[in-house]
Amino acid sequence: MATATEEPRLLGSALAAEDAGEIDGAVGEQGLPRGDDDDEEILRFMDSVDGYLHLMDSLSSTLRQGWLDLASARHSMGPTRVSSTLLDHKEQSAATKLQVVDHAGLQLSESKPHFALSKWSLQEECYSTCNAGEQASSEPNLRHRGSATTPEDGNHERDATKAGSSTGSDTSSHVQRARSKALSVFGALVSPKLRTAQISFETALELILELANSRSSMLASFSQLKE
Amino acid sequence: MAGRANIPTNSSALIAIIADEDTVTGFLLAGVGNVDLRKKTNYLIVDNKTTVRQIEDAFKEFTTREDIAIVLISQYVANMIRFLVDGYNKPVPAILEIPSKDHPYDPAHDSVLSRVKYLFSAESVASDRR
Repeated sequence: MATATEEPRLLGSALAAEDAGEIDGAVGEQGLPRGDDDDEEILRFMDSVDGYLHLMDSLSSTLRQGWLDLASARHSMGPTRVSSTLLDHKEQSAATKLQVVDHAGLQLSESKPHFALSKWSLQEECYSTCNAGEQASSEPNLRHRGSATTPEDGNHERDATKAGSSTGSDTSSHVQRARSKALSVFGALVSPKLRTAQISFETALELILELANSRSSMLASFSQLKE
Repeated sequence: MAGRANIPTNSSALIAIIADEDTVTGFLLAGVGNVDLRKKTNYLIVDNKTTVRQIEDAFKEFTTREDIAIVLISQYVANMIRFLVDGYNKPVPAILEIPSKDHPYDPAHDSVLSRVKYLFSAESVASDRR
């Protein structure tokens, strides 16, 4: 989608609407008062669309790395050792889950779910963006986000530091045990590439979480603009 | 309020996946795989033997389960059931179309972006209608 070229059209049509109905700058089209809220909502919407596309680009890169590592692992371990036929169909609970909180939008008619990730059954891994205040501050950051794996961005590294500081080595050893358990499906000794694939897909999960929140924000702004 | 979907706060929700083998395997390595007492999984591996009916059934099942908050679906798989995906409009579970190895992400086909694209230009709406 050529949002770069389509962006001016949205703003242009907004400006045209202003020219059509404005009398003294305080009245919009059809004589209705033009609120700053509308401009804010439009900006919020455009930011969330921009953020969504950037995140999707980052996700594509991260997934490509994960697929490449998986293919390398399959090459070194053999195709029968890295295969979906090995997947365990015994009863098991997911180690990585989500938390969903409903952050109602400005109007009660909006629903705006907010998702948080709980990796490897660690409650401490829940992002502090579960709070509405931090969620609002995270949205502008989306515009400046490059690769999610850059150190200065470092969400997953910050999480690792937060988790590590809360319960020290216990948490990191818990995470390592959980990771090893997930890898053990493919045997006791696995290729290092399989481990890096695991890290890549963990990073992809974090990006997916941000995508879900960005989607939620986009749809909430869209509903508001439609009204 | 009328029109507002009730989103139950869920502290332990799953991520469902409908994708090719490598994508599903990768995400299972990241710990999202779940198998319940009835041996029902939260993922479907799509290969050349998977029928459209199976994909539709999996999509309908995942979007109606209360313990699933996000459904990841490869975009090329979503294209096979496009009418179902585009017709879905609940906030939870969130449907996210993701790229696959052989099919890069195309924003023009994304159901979320398709829903909001008419806001970008009146001309684009008019050209779609021609």
